[in-house]
Amino acid sequence: MSVPAADTGLAEAEAAAEGGQPRRRGYASYVGFKVLGSIGSFFFMLVVNFFLFRVLPGDPARTLGRGRLSTPAQVEAFNKTYALGESIPRQFLTFLHNTFTGQLGISVEYHEPVSTLILHALWPTLLLVGSSTILATVIGVYLGIRGAWRRGGLFDRITTGSSLTLYAMPEWWLGLLLIAALGVGFWFIPGLFPTGGLHSPDVDPNSLHGVLDTMWHLALPVTTLTLAYLADFSLIMRSSLLDELGEDYLQTARAKGLRDIQVRNRHAVRNAMLPTTTIIALNIGFVVGGAITVETVFSIPGLGLLATNAIGVPDFWVLQGTFLVASAGVIVANLCANLIYGWIDPRVRT
Amino acid sequence: MTQTVKAVNAQSARQLTRQRRLAAWKRVWKQFRQRRSGMLGLGVLMFFVIVALAAPILSSSNGLDVTKANGPLLGPPSSRYWLGTDENGRSVLTLLIWGARISLFVGIVATLISMVLGTVLGLVSGYFGGWVGRITFRLTEWFLVIPFLPLAIVLASVLGPGLFNIVIVIGVTSWPGTALLIRSQTLSIKERAYIDRARAIGAGRWHQMSKHVLPNVMPMVFANTTLTVAIAILSETTLSFLGLGDPTRTSWGTMLDGAYHAGAITTGCWWYVVPPGVCVVLVVLAFTLIGQALEEILNPRLRAR
Amino acid sequence: MKTGRVVESSLCSQVREDGGVADGGQPLVRVGADDAVLSVGVRPSRRGRRRLGLTSRGPRGIATLSRRFRRVTGHGGHRTAGRLLVVVGLLLASLTPALALGAPASAKTKVVFHVAMLGESVDSLNPFVGIQSPSYEMWGLTYDYLVGYSMTDMSPEPDLATKWTTSSDGKTWTFTVRKGVKFSDGVPLTANDVAYTFNRVLHGKTEQASWISYLNGVTEITAPNATTVVMKLKQPSATLPLLPIPIVPEHVWKHVTEADVKTYSAAPSNGQPVVGEGPFRLVEGTANGDTFKFEANPDYWGGRPHVDEVIFQFYKNDDSAIQAMLKGEVDFVEGITALEVKHLQSQPGVTAHNGNSPGFEEIAFNTGSVDLKTGKPIGNPNPAMLDPKFRHALGYALNLPQLIQKVYQGAGLPGTTIVPPSYTKYHWEPPAGQKMTFDLAKAGQLLDAAGYKKGPDGLRTMPGGKPIGTLRLDARSDSPTSINAMDYFKSWLSQLGIKSQVSTPSSNQLTDIILKGNFDAFYWGWFVEPDPDNMLSYLTCGQRGNWSDSWFCNKQYDTLYREQHVQTDQAKREAEVKNMQQILYQQSPYLVTAYDATGEAVRSDHFACFVAQPNPGGVWLEQYGVYNYIHIKPASEAGNCHSATGGGKLHGAVAATKGGSSSSISVAFTVGGAVVVAAVLAVLGVMLMRRRATAGDRE
Repeated sequence: MSVPAADTGLAEAEAAAEGGQPRRRGYASYVGFKVLGSIGSFFFMLVVNFFLFRVLPGDPARTLGRGRLSTPAQVEAFNKTYALGESIPRQFLTFLHNTFTGQLGISVEYHEPVSTLILHALWPTLLLVGSSTILATVIGVYLGIRGAWRRGGLFDRITTGSSLTLYAMPEWWLGLLLIAALGVGFWFIPGLFPTGGLHSPDVDPNSLHGVLDTMWHLALPVTTLTLAYLADFSLIMRSSLLDELGEDYLQTARAKGLRDIQVRNRHAVRNAMLPTTTIIALNIGFVVGGAITVETVFSIPGLGLLATNAIGVPDFWVLQGTFLVASAGVIVANLCANLIYGWIDPRVRT
Repeated sequence: MTQTVKAVNAQSARQLTRQRRLAAWKRVWKQFRQRRSGMLGLGVLMFFVIVALAAPILSSSNGLDVTKANGPLLGPPSSRYWLGTDENGRSVLTLLIWGARISLFVGIVATLISMVLGTVLGLVSGYFGGWVGRITFRLTEWFLVIPFLPLAIVLASVLGPGLFNIVIVIGVTSWPGTALLIRSQTLSIKERAYIDRARAIGAGRWHQMSKHVLPNVMPMVFANTTLTVAIAILSETTLSFLGLGDPTRTSWGTMLDGAYHAGAITTGCWWYVVPPGVCVVLVVLAFTLIGQALEEILNPRLRAR
Repeated sequence: MKTGRVVESSLCSQVREDGGVADGGQPLVRVGADDAVLSVGVRPSRRGRRRLGLTSRGPRGIATLSRRFRRVTGHGGHRTAGRLLVVVGLLLASLTPALALGAPASAKTKVVFHVAMLGESVDSLNPFVGIQSPSYEMWGLTYDYLVGYSMTDMSPEPDLATKWTTSSDGKTWTFTVRKGVKFSDGVPLTANDVAYTFNRVLHGKTEQASWISYLNGVTEITAPNATTVVMKLKQPSATLPLLPIPIVPEHVWKHVTEADVKTYSAAPSNGQPVVGEGPFRLVEGTANGDTFKFEANPDYWGGRPHVDEVIFQFYKNDDSAIQAMLKGEVDFVEGITALEVKHLQSQPGVTAHNGNSPGFEEIAFNTGSVDLKTGKPIGNPNPAMLDPKFRHALGYALNLPQLIQKVYQGAGLPGTTIVPPSYTKYHWEPPAGQKMTFDLAKAGQLLDAAGYKKGPDGLRTMPGGKPIGTLRLDARSDSPTSINAMDYFKSWLSQLGIKSQVSTPSSNQLTDIILKGNFDAFYWGWFVEPDPDNMLSYLTCGQRGNWSDSWFCNKQYDTLYREQHVQTDQAKREAEVKNMQQILYQQSPYLVTAYDATGEAVRSDHFACFVAQPNPGGVWLEQYGVYNYIHIKPASEAGNCHSATGGGKLHGAVAATKGGSSSSISVAFTVGGAVVVAAVLAVLGVMLMRRRATAGDRE
């Protein structure tokens, strides 16, 4: 699912490279430009966020406040907090003010501030997505390089084939299969791994035992996400390395008498890492989006589960809050990716 | 006499164009046939398309009606129910066959929406300079950074469950990638000499766009479409699994949702969990392989590899 | 969540605004009913089981718990698992002394009851704030009630109050508070704490929200001495002595001001358990957390429970919870599907059943939506729906046994009236002559007689000959049960010559549709409290636009409702309540289709002696009261469960069974951990080898 957005940096760089005039900037102005762009994105995202939740059918005090608002005074206070009785621009200003002061509303379900809920849910998600990303990066980059270097070989065909298959697979379905095979067990094989949660009921998560216990619980979800990311990363690494391998400078390098392996590691891979780095940086931005289904299937109490649980209520404040955090994450990651890219590769600073 | 000659000439000018395009497509097809992975994808896809179209022949739609189901609940495969039964006693195979229709339908219609939006916005932002182009480009970029799944979830919860809602949700959330691609193509085509020539002899913007730019970006749109269908089908499956699909229609996604909530994992009913997922993987893989093959053929940069 | 339906909650605002509890002008009747929803009673009807565990209205929110009973012996037994990975195993063992402690930790043998809760977590540990059903479970263990519920039919039973008397005019109630009860911090509980709690509810804005309905009509609560609580009422109340309000310690809560109570968490802090007088005290857990740990209160007045600790672990889906139970990590799972129950019944060491829970599901009709101010019709109900004869005839077109078998997978009972048969005193069972049974011919005759004759096209028409058109059957998109049930209804209607169409709005959308009157029929359910007063009130005229979802209004019914509400003669009240059900049955604003059942499973090789409430046939864990937490015993000590069944007065206690797969968690843990470590090592190893190879290339 991260695919369309994963091209951002690339597509943009490509578009810029192909279309724009080669008006190269200094890094400082590049940074300024990109930061401005991100602020623009952020603002746009706020606008979308604002309007999405104002088009809800019904009276907002009732829809958004649900059972929590029981007295006219409370309804009035609610309307005042969100400026609901006033004009749209006024409401928007209030919305901006609330957002920047961290008032993301009160959850209908838990009657706790949404910001608190999100803070609590952040850590499991970061743990899950972080470790999967690291694993997927290491393995994916390795597979990509090896595949591209011996293009068309048996190894390449196997890894490309399985990457494509993994890419075509809904990651939560893969998770279900893993649960069925390794969690529930089949035939005479017992289930070795827990099928959900982050730790066993009576284990202190801060002890060494607790840490190992958490690792044990994370084994299946991390495997699932790693395999899902891996597919993306290895395909991208492979194709960007193939791109590089066609370049003339490699011939020059070989002509200089460098060994294949040196050409590969010192030149080709280094350059091919650029787009891959971007994708990985971007991927981190998809922390929330990417893990929604996997967290649901494995009952990991993170942002994704928070969001899916909010669907059914529906707890619009929580949905709005997680959506906000998700988008903000992508924007920041996107900015970082662009800055790194621009720093390493001056060609894109157009 | 002269008139006929003129007519022939006039006709042949148009015919010529047509022939040239036809020849181009034939060339593409010829190259495509040489790609084993692409052909494999096409074969798999054809199979599912035929199954979807022939669904009424393959199994009666009565098999979808819970009130007419009389199989065992979550029964294992048997001679009567080749792929077992679901929690309502319906044949999983029947659901699978009819589910192909909905899954493909959602995938294709959502992609059409996304393609139209993406192509129009991509063309506009690439062809027009100035503020029109800049604004559409920024808009595309902004949409691109909105994380897809959360946005789709929010939209789907706001719109409510339903087949067309899910089509719309997927359609309006998946266009920015296409738009950027079309934009970059448009930018490069715009610089080509024949556009200048057309402009010099007085062709209007509409003419330039529709007669020159669009036909030239179409192949890329086409290749991109197949890739987008793959993503749209995956999205449909995921949204349905999250309970945002149309509960009254059977798609592979709603089947998996049903399986999950009926406890098929715990009770070991693999026949209800594995087949829908395999179908999704096969179809998505088929579209991806076709799209990749087309992209390699149509995109000169990739061809060079 | 607790309520059966969403609608209602949004409406409460209106209610409270005009009703207020003690507002003299309003008929008391209304008030009670309005607010009740926010309260306890209305646990969600769980059947709909919301997807993803969310559920609020439909399904279950309630959780389930499960326990694992692990006798922790001093030494860990995992080494055996090492096997092929001896090295890794040794590595792990040496690295992690703590690992070896997987089991033991404390030398003392603790009996821990692990409960797997499904669905939403506890929303607040503060009994004046929370509304989710799992929260009631937490309060129930922490605090105690003045009056409890019996196990057989949930009728009032002494709890903190040992007895109570009513004045002859029914306006003064005197409760005698049990002596020798202590809070978990050692402070004695007196009548002052009871009066304090009730007065908070009576006068505090926040506190009213959840609990005021139980005190409706009460004007004054005092504690003349340490063992007496006196309540004065404006008029007699039939719902007393039902008072399921958790009694909080005054010496703790007096520091929580009215302004602070909304945000007061009432959670353990600084390692100090929550102070309460219940059988357990909460030592760990916060709202919205996934683990809640209780330890037995040794000073509990009813005697020390047989388990030392109860741990609630929240799971978001059935699979995880059930797997955890099969592996022995938890001992109890609740809220699972009928098919899962069936599967679990074949597992060794597990006892599973579908327990009848006091709720029902129904097909509700639009009996005439009106604008309450002007009295003019609003919405667009099909005119046929407004005719009680038409609605009643449709009752003969419902094959309920088939519905239970197919749609409910056999769990549940065919429905009749809105008071479930569990409440034996209040339930009215239609006599054979009046009972609607599946009989399409009879349904046809009734429709013919009422003028809905078949036209030339085979479709029935209105008495005037106009076509009926297509009836709209609204199911809820989040409840597959409701969709399937409506599909069946549709097919039966078509056999009667009536066209219909099923649509699936979300629960939220349906709420709006109902309020606007834009519907013909919909499928939903209610959870019914032990006192049927609230449920009965939802069908009074005054509730239209509020809690009423069928827009039903019947003068005779309303009169009876008001009478029973202040009736002090129990026998008369029961007769009135039954009479009301009979009216509803004839008028058919609802066709009750099913009485819910809840799937529960217990590791009976770990714990035994669960007794169902209502008894027999009811649920084992999420009951009114906390009976089983106190009475269950480790399987090895269960015997014949004499004490749990009150010496045989209650039936069907879960007997201890032998040996399930006690694939102890620590073995699985070691094997699993070893596999993970091995995998990581393998990856690292491969990479190191590559590295070395690369280095070799360079040379």
